[in-house]
Amino acid sequence: MSLDNTIKEIKASFQSELSNCNTSTDLENIRITYLGRKGKLTTLFEEFTKLPGSEKPKYGKTLNILKTDLTSAFDKKLKEINPNSHKSNDSSEDFSLPGYNLPEGSLHPLEQVTSEIKAIFQSIGFSVAYGPEIDDDYHNFEALNVPKHHPARDMQDTFFVDPNTVLRTHTSNVQIHLMENQDPPLRHICCGRVFRNEAVSYKSFCLFNQVEGLVINETSSFAEMKGTLEYFVKEMFGEGTKMRFRPSYFPFTEPSAEVDIWNDKLNQWMEILGCGMVNPNVLTNVGYDNKKYQGFAFGMGIERIAMIKYGIKDIRLFYQNDKRFLEQF
Amino acid sequence: MKVSLSWLKRFVDFDYSTSELADKLTMRGFESEVATDFSSLDHIVVGEVKSAEKHPDADKLKVCMVSDGKQTYNVVCGAPNVDKDQKIVFAKVGAVLPGDFKIGKAKIRGVESFGMICSERELGISEEHEGIMVLDDSCKVGAKIDTILGEAYNAIDIEITPDKAFALSHRGIAREIAAMTESKIKTPMEVVKATSKGKDIVKVVLDKKGGCTRYIAGTMTNLTVGPSPKWLADYLKSVGQKSINNLVDISNFMLLEIGHPTHVFDLKKLSKPAIEVKWAKKDEKFHALDEETYKLDTDHLIITDSVNTIALAGIIGGKDSAVSDSTTDVLIESAYFDPVVIRRGSKKLNLLSEASRRFERGADPEATLEAFYMIVGLMTEVAGGSLESIVADESTIDLTLHKVSLSEAKLLKYIGHKIDFKSVSFILDGLHIENKKTKAGWDCIIPSFRHDVKHETDLIEEVLRCYGYENIQSSYSFSSQMQYANDAEQPLFELKQYLSSLGFNQCYNNSLQDLEEVKSFGINPVSVMNPSSERMNTLRTTLHHGLFENLDFNFKNGSSNTLIYEYGTVFEKKGDTLKDIEQVSNFSCLVHGNFYDKNVHFDSIENNFFLLKGVASNAFATLTKAKVKFIEDKHAYCDVFYRIVDGKKNTVGSIGVVSDLFLDKLDISHKTNVSILDINTSLFIEHFNHNIKVQDVVLYPIVNRDLNFKFDSNTNLGKVCAAIKSVNQSIMQDVFPVDIYKSKKEDGKKNVLFKLSFQSVKKTLEDNDVNAVIAEIISVVTKKFNAKLRDN
Repeated sequence: MSLDNTIKEIKASFQSELSNCNTSTDLENIRITYLGRKGKLTTLFEEFTKLPGSEKPKYGKTLNILKTDLTSAFDKKLKEINPNSHKSNDSSEDFSLPGYNLPEGSLHPLEQVTSEIKAIFQSIGFSVAYGPEIDDDYHNFEALNVPKHHPARDMQDTFFVDPNTVLRTHTSNVQIHLMENQDPPLRHICCGRVFRNEAVSYKSFCLFNQVEGLVINETSSFAEMKGTLEYFVKEMFGEGTKMRFRPSYFPFTEPSAEVDIWNDKLNQWMEILGCGMVNPNVLTNVGYDNKKYQGFAFGMGIERIAMIKYGIKDIRLFYQNDKRFLEQF
Repeated sequence: MKVSLSWLKRFVDFDYSTSELADKLTMRGFESEVATDFSSLDHIVVGEVKSAEKHPDADKLKVCMVSDGKQTYNVVCGAPNVDKDQKIVFAKVGAVLPGDFKIGKAKIRGVESFGMICSERELGISEEHEGIMVLDDSCKVGAKIDTILGEAYNAIDIEITPDKAFALSHRGIAREIAAMTESKIKTPMEVVKATSKGKDIVKVVLDKKGGCTRYIAGTMTNLTVGPSPKWLADYLKSVGQKSINNLVDISNFMLLEIGHPTHVFDLKKLSKPAIEVKWAKKDEKFHALDEETYKLDTDHLIITDSVNTIALAGIIGGKDSAVSDSTTDVLIESAYFDPVVIRRGSKKLNLLSEASRRFERGADPEATLEAFYMIVGLMTEVAGGSLESIVADESTIDLTLHKVSLSEAKLLKYIGHKIDFKSVSFILDGLHIENKKTKAGWDCIIPSFRHDVKHETDLIEEVLRCYGYENIQSSYSFSSQMQYANDAEQPLFELKQYLSSLGFNQCYNNSLQDLEEVKSFGINPVSVMNPSSERMNTLRTTLHHGLFENLDFNFKNGSSNTLIYEYGTVFEKKGDTLKDIEQVSNFSCLVHGNFYDKNVHFDSIENNFFLLKGVASNAFATLTKAKVKFIEDKHAYCDVFYRIVDGKKNTVGSIGVVSDLFLDKLDISHKTNVSILDINTSLFIEHFNHNIKVQDVVLYPIVNRDLNFKFDSNTNLGKVCAAIKSVNQSIMQDVFPVDIYKSKKEDGKKNVLFKLSFQSVKKTLEDNDVNAVIAEIISVVTKKFNAKLRDN
């Protein structure tokens, strides 16, 4: 009988026996008959070694395929008859042991809040802009309608690198650079670090992170600013958040407002951001026609929002990088 | 600024409670909070001291019997001034004083005490706490304290923003309340132009270069210095000011009444009754009222009596010309000083006063004369005396009122909400802004005290502020304004998320560091001129320093396994101008300790150079699909250092093991093997944004082979792998060492097992194809690296 026929027969008889088999005893007999140490498959391989060299490659392949086919059909039947058989039968394995102790990673809370704020504004068409942390007095103050010797300078204690160069006190300098380089319409947020020369304590640090927004076009109004920021507050703090706009003063906006949200726990309003219609002087300073263009700007401190959101009481924790703090985020 | 309700009621009638007033003003742009509110205080009544005996067991204490009209209580009191028959403020058990001070039953040195007799400080009225507050004898015993003290002392604190100079007085705030309540402002004190007795006039000379554009001066004689009358002292007390004497109190009162600062000189202490306003000489010394001596500069404006400097204009008076207990004759100054001059002068000396605060924000030039005559009137009433000199009024100021137009169309476009024209006119009227309706809008004449209103938008702000921000309907129609939203740093956020999901903690470190420490990193740093502390005087030149400190902090707190990174700006000074300061965003990682500690599954796995090497390759491969290579290099504080390069040979990062010596020098606690990885953010972003071009999947099988060589132990396996790869570029897929065995028998040798893989894009590889390449590899490796092939 040729090898080819033998292979065909073995395959056929294996399949019919397997399909008629219902008990594990029968199945074990099939295993011994075909796949066992002295089984039919082993015999076939023994015959194969006696073949002339020229035929070896062809049958080698065929036999290998046969072996794979029979084994996998057998395994399948085994699972059918005895559903537990595929589980490990090594009773010494203790699955109650702890898993591999992978290190716990985290994104910094300020990063998380920043990215959340960015995402909210990106969803309503704001691009993100970045700019220098050290800038000249002009871009940080004068272009923003804060002349030298103006009391408004006291609102932001400033670090100086030289008399005309400052560590930016807000990211508004990015707005000026943006407007100098681009014509309206603009719809951007800027974010990054800003510096204030204040004594370090639980509530103030020498730097903090800000997100500011700027919208300039021919029509954006105070009412639209209210709508935009209401949308933001609801996305950020939840739909039911009670908020209010109250009049305030910033040299670079007019009219200006501060936004408070109501804190149920503390039973008081908490200030979360400042905003206003961009002061026409600012538009003139960057070469925009302030009769044609108008718009609004807003800004908020990330630390403040993170402190409200996570109930953090000491701002210095953000910059200490204590693993026990960071791993909570 | 503290403002009392009683004082405000001099100008306007209103029914708001203290907290209501604070809320209303807050919503008008004057952020306010309650300072003193007696209506919120329960269990505090007028009491009468029936008896006051020495405490049996303490010299300084007294045991008093205090009546509340119904009952008498034992109260221990430590005040020296407590006495029998006094009407006092009695806080009974259960009362809560300002500052959340709860009154309970107490036993003081063995004597039971049921309540407290209060001082002014305990009631939040003033800083007075030497003794208890003694009430007028007419007060009814048992009356709630609100009815007695609330009327006089209820007050709010207002945060006045720098633009609102007009609100820095009771009259200013009262005008807002009048506008809010639609009521009329009252004139509690008429301005009467007193006639002078004498015929002399105070000679006033103003400097031609400006600084002072109006100076009114006059003298008064025959005054009697003494305590202020009760009403005057009470008003001052209601805003927490101490009464000094009638003359000083009058000047202070006028400042808080109408917001115009004035100054009173002792006429007899002046060389002559002549005033010269001029600029100080360089380094001129000035002895001021606050007992300090200031060194002036040429841009300080001073007042002289033509011989001596008697005041630093608009900031503070001189000690030598000040009013004293023996003053009888005075020279009264009421002037208008240039805001910039006052601001610059006060900033230079770091000397702020109530006067400078008002002048630098801009005083009301019209109030100059008003204040002068009010002072004359009050001094005549309170301290006797009369106007002696003819009143000098030197002025170069233009008192023409400013005109501003408001267009109705602009108002609508700006606010995005229609405010009817009647409301606008009504609001402007309330703010004392004279307005005439025109076709286009309103022509307005701005009162002198509102010099902050210069442009149309200033008027829009006023209208909107008074109309109420809450009454503006929000608009959500911004979809037409929406644009393509882009964030150039989004790829870095992906990188941060990647690292954090691997187990890294992201850090934020202070950008300001200690110059001495920054210097160790060998880059020329940028320092700040006015640091808040020497520990924070210089901007960081690298993120490594912060990460080292984080390692140190956490190591000392018991966790030595560290996987951290930071993204942030570092600074380098390359010259003296702003554009020579390099400001670059860096991305650095640091690892130390173990990734896995020893556990039931396997031995510990270290956080080391190789972990970071893998992270670097994988981060680029996973996030950007770029393949990177590592090229050995040198670094100032790394013992081992490799540059990471991309396919175009750009350095996209670096990786190294920090020298332990360097860390010891910086005093960073650590074990060893502190490894750092830096990623060039702009090149990373470039790779991230690179478009992927899909290549056909090769369907022919991969053939694997193993080769085992024996090398000298110092052989660089990276070079061996490179050499193997270069043997054949077409079917050689990859090669990597899978096992290194250092034989104990053969010192100085190592056996290395390589796994090689082959694949052709054209066909299924035959043994012969692979064998030919293998033979060549064996030949290259054995020759080039002095290696010997071993049997598998």
